Amino acid sequence: MLEVQDLRKRFGDKVALDGVGFAVRPGEMFGFVGANGAGKTTTMRIVMGVLDADSGEVRLDGKPLTYDSRRRFGYMPEERGLYQKMKVAEQVEYFGRLHGLGKAAAHDAAGELIERLGLTGRRDDAVETLSLGNQQRVQLAVALVHSPSVLVLDEPFSGLDPIAVDALADVLKDRCSSGVPVVFSSHQLELVEQLCDSVGIISGGRMVAAGPVDELRATEGRTLLKVVVRGASPGWADDLTGEVTTDGDRQVLLIESGDDQEILRSAVNAGEVEHFGRQRPTLAEIFREAVA
Amino acid sequence: MNGLWLVADREIRTRIRTKGFLISLALSGLLVVALAFVPKLLSGQDSYEVAVVGAVPVAAADVTYTKYADEAGARKAVTDGAVDAALIDDQRVVSEGELDQRLGLLLESAHREGKIKASGLVITPLTVETGATAQYQSVRTGIATLLVMVLFFLLIYSAMYVAMGVVEEKGSRIVEILLAAVRPWQLLGGKIVGLGLLGLVNLAVVIGGGLIAATATGLATDFPPGMAGIVISTVVWFVLGYAFFSVLAAAFGSLVSRQEEVNSVLTPMTMTMTITYLVAYFAAVEPEGTLARVLSLVPPFSSMVMPVRTAATDVPIAEIVLSAALMVVATVAVLLAGARVYNRAVVRTGARVKLAEVLR
Repeated sequence: MLEVQDLRKRFGDKVALDGVGFAVRPGEMFGFVGANGAGKTTTMRIVMGVLDADSGEVRLDGKPLTYDSRRRFGYMPEERGLYQKMKVAEQVEYFGRLHGLGKAAAHDAAGELIERLGLTGRRDDAVETLSLGNQQRVQLAVALVHSPSVLVLDEPFSGLDPIAVDALADVLKDRCSSGVPVVFSSHQLELVEQLCDSVGIISGGRMVAAGPVDELRATEGRTLLKVVVRGASPGWADDLTGEVTTDGDRQVLLIESGDDQEILRSAVNAGEVEHFGRQRPTLAEIFREAVA
Repeated sequence: MNGLWLVADREIRTRIRTKGFLISLALSGLLVVALAFVPKLLSGQDSYEVAVVGAVPVAAADVTYTKYADEAGARKAVTDGAVDAALIDDQRVVSEGELDQRLGLLLESAHREGKIKASGLVITPLTVETGATAQYQSVRTGIATLLVMVLFFLLIYSAMYVAMGVVEEKGSRIVEILLAAVRPWQLLGGKIVGLGLLGLVNLAVVIGGGLIAATATGLATDFPPGMAGIVISTVVWFVLGYAFFSVLAAAFGSLVSRQEEVNSVLTPMTMTMTITYLVAYFAAVEPEGTLARVLSLVPPFSSMVMPVRTAATDVPIAEIVLSAALMVVATVAVLLAGARVYNRAVVRTGARVKLAEVLR
């Protein structure tokens, strides 16, 4: 289990992290979301040892991280970086070796990943000749080549087309199901909701919410009562607190509070009820509310 | 250690594939070979043909006399270029254009010798005694001057490449994933070792090319004894100087994120190297001067001044040892400070990092 405990970091007068903590279990995919400048990248750079925290700790399976345990991590930084003039396969292999793989193992692992990520035809091309999307695939291959024990990916999906997003998501799910804790940050909240078991929301250097997605949806934010009524006379719902949108003869109500049975009765009296049920907040709604 | 060698291996493979490396290797080799031929070209004529009308003068070294019946014939031979000059009746010398200076002196002294002999006076020529090394003085100065150039260019060139490599990795942010796999000293050390080995290869080509060419042109026969010592000292001092300057270059380089900024951030280093170059050049000509003697002990100037002095003159072994020891101490100090700067600055992308900030 990867545990981030109470990280604090200042840059001069600016407080970047003010007690960031979360935990990612083996085989769990953790989505790290937050506005720009909230502290996601700083947190990930501290996890990777690129930056030192002023205080706080990162542990793996209960032990503080060392250089050797970090060396088995896979990392994709926010700012992508590759040797532009180096060939794709050579580069992936080189990073495999830097992470401690033998020559043959690095060669095989690089070949396999390149194929899996659909870069087979480009293996002997210099990275600079590749499209940005393909360079990003190479970047991912570099992060994965040594079968990392933990994956830390900063905005891995940004700038990818939907097909590349699917390919990347598949690879991540695959690694995750083999028991690797995966942490990734993203602004694509729908994607996070769809892929992740847990999420952490960071705002202004603090964790404002963290936990399994279902739990957050149940506890964080407001659960609304959604009622769709057809052919009702306008004004029947004036006493209820909530949002009403009208679409032709159909009214959609999102009601914040009230006696649901009472509301149902008056809705039935007012018109034809097409939908009646509780609507849990989406991650995007929780996020907006949490960082507001 | 493994990480360091992997990095060094990549540096070497990447670099030797570039045109720039191959061109500079070929050019530097060709340059020394060409320089080995220069003395031969500059030394001018070493034997002369002189037409003689009338009395034949006393024999002179390197001069061959050819008898001509009359002045007109001799003059024609001069004009045609068959002879270098004509001596008429042991009184006048005729030449096409300016008379070769050495030939003039030879003819003049032959003329005097003849006259003196005729008067019955006997003159014993002066005997010249020189120190054991004096006869090699000019050759040693020549070798030393050449060394200055070779050392300066190889040092500045290799150090520049280290700086550019550091900035490439920092600017492209690849350093973040590199540092997730290797320690900073492995990354920095690998780069310095890899590029340094290529610098040594270049040095070997220059020295080897120079020696072979010198042997081919016959220049090598003038080489002073102890050439092997000069070669070894050059290599050792190159390694020391390279270690010092490349660490400095890496530390300065790590402060900036863009290649355009490399030159300006390296200015203090290139200035130091240029001053070292000028002093070393001076030391080649004046190896016993006070400036040369003092700076051949002071690092980092010693890295170029000492090998040049060693080539130009006989330096007491104690001075060489002291100088090398000081240079090693300075290199270790730079290594410690430079590694500190590099470690702290290399992940701080964006605006130029202030040196004082990372040294604290």
